[in-house]
Amino acid sequence: MSWRGRAGWSRYPRIILTCWRAAVATELEYRLNFVTGALLSLFWMGWAAAGVAVYFQFAGELVGWTYPELVVVIGLFFTMNGVRQAFLQPNLDAMTEHVRRGTLDFLLTKPVDAQLLVSLRHLYVGNLLDPFLGLGVVAAGVVASGHGMSVVDLAAFVLMFVVAVLVLYALVVALMAVSIRLNGSEEVGQVSFGLVELTRFPVDLYRDPLRTAMTVVPVVLLTTLPAQAVLGRISATSVVVAAGAAAVAVAGASLLWRRALRGYTGASS
Amino acid sequence: MAEISIRYPALMRSSALAVLAYRGRLVVGFLTDLFPFLLMAVWLTVVATAGPPRGWTAADFVAYYAMAAVLMQLSGQHVVWEWDRDLRSGDLSVRLLRPLHPFHQYVASDLGYRVVSLALFVPGLVLVAVLLPVLTLDLTVTRAALAVPATLLAYLVGVLMASIVALLGFWSTQTTNVWMLFWGLGSFTSGWVAPVELMPGWIEAVAPWLPFFTTLGFPVELWTGRMTESESGVHFVVAVGWALLFAAAYTVVWPRAVRRYQAVAG
Repeated sequence: MSWRGRAGWSRYPRIILTCWRAAVATELEYRLNFVTGALLSLFWMGWAAAGVAVYFQFAGELVGWTYPELVVVIGLFFTMNGVRQAFLQPNLDAMTEHVRRGTLDFLLTKPVDAQLLVSLRHLYVGNLLDPFLGLGVVAAGVVASGHGMSVVDLAAFVLMFVVAVLVLYALVVALMAVSIRLNGSEEVGQVSFGLVELTRFPVDLYRDPLRTAMTVVPVVLLTTLPAQAVLGRISATSVVVAAGAAAVAVAGASLLWRRALRGYTGASS
Repeated sequence: MAEISIRYPALMRSSALAVLAYRGRLVVGFLTDLFPFLLMAVWLTVVATAGPPRGWTAADFVAYYAMAAVLMQLSGQHVVWEWDRDLRSGDLSVRLLRPLHPFHQYVASDLGYRVVSLALFVPGLVLVAVLLPVLTLDLTVTRAALAVPATLLAYLVGVLMASIVALLGFWSTQTTNVWMLFWGLGSFTSGWVAPVELMPGWIEAVAPWLPFFTTLGFPVELWTGRMTESESGVHFVVAVGWALLFAAAYTVVWPRAVRRYQAVAG
């Protein structure tokens, strides 16, 4: 297939950008959603930060996490949740709909890589600001924690942030594959919500077996490790292992997706 | 009234059957139920690192959040989403033509859903309680006899409060966001963010008088024995007071609201 050639891949950023421009144009019909969405997100961030403060009336720190440090995790939770809601969930939802109505067939016949097209086509503007607001909360937490940030910490954070986004992406692609297998079951879309919800708190605050499960499924990569990186307490081994895990997750999800497509028979005809 | 008592079971049955046909909604409900258990996990860590806060032991937190998860199933707030959807799609027109006030249609269908989800959730919890000896309620007969009406009052106050916010939809087109803000602020006094006893003093002082506590903390504390039988008297008075006040407010607002209905998209 010629369109998978080396030169072919350079077209993808343009294709995705075109899709996003169309999505934004549609969404701008509902401009108020953008504003109310951002305000509501700010409210929930304040809500989460105030809610967590309750614990620190009784303990100076929780398993090595002080209050400002936990705020960093909360900021990352909103960042990742924002990435999920703005970029990934709309595609997962559209995907289950495509499978049920058989319109997935039309997407598969387009001369581009199906996984990229299906997983990145849609965008929800209501949560588009969330990742930035979340990163603002992260910055506030870092400043309040009194940790200085070295260039190495910043580099580790950027790397772990990319790792987190890739893991989240892999999770969603894997769920899309499951959705094909289950003929467009709506429940699948909610699993991503449940998994991300777990990352509100650093993994140290849970006990086994939940703690081990979160390390195996790699949701620990979504907020705990980026927070450790930005606070300058992540080990080089963790960074390497995390980067490896992200690569494995993306490759594994892609494999699952291809497998699922091979078993897909189409519902339109 | 007699008419309503015939229609409720029928409407509840039809919505229960719809839930069983579309099981996705149940999964969504149970996933949101994860949240109390996350908060429980954090409190258990607090107990392990700093000792029991204000005398709350690990067992207290387990019982509290297990019952909070059950009460969450009974929050009644889902009617806001139903009203909101029907107002915007114009489906409310159909409901207005039926010989039963829309409020009762929404509540009956919500109750049907609650019955199914509780029928699945409560046995699951009982199983966990049997397997993990850490979850005990130490129920006495009198306390159970009080906790059941407290639970019903919690649902009634919750669903009335949600319905009044839903009526704002006749003036604005978006009520779910308004409800989320309202609920989010209330959650600091309801026992949702943390048991009210563990909140800062000023919140602990005002919370018992607000309707949010009636919908969650009150029945949960009765079930778990945090609140004694004699202490519950004043909370029953507060709960009935809010129920009457909200019912009155609803009857005042409804005729004004429905006059504004324009059947968009209808």
